[in-house]
Amino acid sequence: MTRSTRTSALVMLTPAVSLVGVFIFLPMLLTIWLSFQAWSTQTGFGAAQFVGLQNYADLLSPLSVGRDFRQASWNTAVYTLLSVVVILPLSVLLGLMVHQNRVAGGHVLRTILFSTYMVPMIAVALVWSKLYSPNEGPLNQILGWFGVGRQMWLSSPDTALVSVVILNVWQQVGYFTVLVIAGLTQIPVALYEAARIDGANPVQSFFGVTLPLLRRTLLFSAVIAVINAVQVFEPVALITQGGPANSTNVLTYYIRRVGIERAQGGLGSAMAVMLMLALIVVIVALFAFARQGEHEK
Amino acid sequence: MTRVGKGFVFRASNAGPLDALLVFAIVAAAVVSAFPLVWMILSSFKTPAESMQVPPVWIPATPTFDAYGEVASVINAGRSFWNSAVIATTTTLGILVTSLMAGYAFAKYRFKGRDLLFAAVIATMFLPPIVTLIPLYRLVGTMGLNASLAGVIVPNLANAFGIFLMRQFIAGVPDDLIDAARVDGASELRIVFAVVAPAVAPAIAALTLFAFVYHWNTYLWPLTVLQGNTDNYPIVLSLSRLLSYNRGAMNTGLVMAGAAMAVLPPLTMFVLLQRFFVDSIVSSGVKG
Repeated sequence: MTRSTRTSALVMLTPAVSLVGVFIFLPMLLTIWLSFQAWSTQTGFGAAQFVGLQNYADLLSPLSVGRDFRQASWNTAVYTLLSVVVILPLSVLLGLMVHQNRVAGGHVLRTILFSTYMVPMIAVALVWSKLYSPNEGPLNQILGWFGVGRQMWLSSPDTALVSVVILNVWQQVGYFTVLVIAGLTQIPVALYEAARIDGANPVQSFFGVTLPLLRRTLLFSAVIAVINAVQVFEPVALITQGGPANSTNVLTYYIRRVGIERAQGGLGSAMAVMLMLALIVVIVALFAFARQGEHEK
Repeated sequence: MTRVGKGFVFRASNAGPLDALLVFAIVAAAVVSAFPLVWMILSSFKTPAESMQVPPVWIPATPTFDAYGEVASVINAGRSFWNSAVIATTTTLGILVTSLMAGYAFAKYRFKGRDLLFAAVIATMFLPPIVTLIPLYRLVGTMGLNASLAGVIVPNLANAFGIFLMRQFIAGVPDDLIDAARVDGASELRIVFAVVAPAVAPAIAALTLFAFVYHWNTYLWPLTVLQGNTDNYPIVLSLSRLLSYNRGAMNTGLVMAGAAMAVLPPLTMFVLLQRFFVDSIVSSGVKG
């Protein structure tokens, strides 16, 4: 490596790396450090006082902040699981519908599906809050045509979280469908030909060829879906405020509430660290799961 | 990807029941997907009385633009749009510049620790913003940027996704092209912006769309850093004020009109650039 390349590399990397360093890495380290401090978000970092594991102890204690944190963690886990479990199969189904060439309309469908991904989440939340309206909303009316009774959607603790999952799936599924289409285009047509010659029907070639070759795509999709799911904020902050009865209190909402609105920065940071650890565990598990599947083949 | 000629659907001779089912499924998926946005547009033209009617009115009897006018007066829509435009445009430009430069270095230079640094940068893609929100809020406050547009913009001028996308595409630019420019005496910065950038134009288009739409739509960070300074609110934040302006079914038309206005810029951007968008996902999203 010559001196001039070293200088050039420095020039090229400094803007991006220093920005990522100062505004992502530094705050991440500060989050970990603050999680061991008693610190008000309204004061400078210098005012922080070391309290050891007290914040973590509070989160596991019977205090109301602990109970709410555990409820928010549970809600986030349920929300994430439901989102991933619905989005992945649906995106494969829709991807096949777009990618096929038996009938026209695939490209139009792709454009419509993907366009919902461009809509600001705040607009999604506003529109769906009106769609869900038990009395003058159209969803209950449409369900009524099929003999389904009146639902309370966002107004009942039993259905509120699922209602948020539905609007999230509606907004995001187009993105994951495009990921699946990208995966499908990389499967050689010859493999389908071979399967057909071996006498495989379309269902058999789906499970024998398509699905195994989509594994990497689906792993990537699952990771992105998990990371997107824990970020759910707008519908909760704007429409439900975590309710009814704490049923839609999710971590992004609750961490911000404690750490910013109530200015309990240490406590909020401890929650953020727990979330970060949980995410690492989930993502590592997903990769391990995908790798194990590969070995079995 | 295979393109199917228009009119194929209607060639009944070789269309079996499976094809009919497929057409039905495609139409159904398209209708379900489009419905909320169609409902949004329709509702924005309703009178307040129509919005409250049970069972709901689908098509307004006498479409009215009143709600749009009211939005403008309630939230100072002009100012909000301007703020959104400033935030989304400046952030996007910043991301383009930093991503091109860093992507070029990661793709075309060999230096010690390169792969480790790249991995560290890419890892931040998997970090949800809430994890860093609390200290970032304080940090930006310490810099004196709280409640200002700069506070919204500056922390987002570089991101892992952009660097990753650019590295993927620039790796495919032939070294000969770069060497030829060096022989001609071009500086490295000149090479990045005058030689490499045009060669990866589709990726730049895709990143422009991704970044613009993301930063037009993003809510959590502006809400946190602007601290209720409504003069600097982008349109997505101002929308939330519509909901509290007049609670209940009364404000449905108003909320829908506001949502329709906020949706328009990112959706227009998407329609203009969607070709590059999909291509970039195909070539970078999965192979990486």
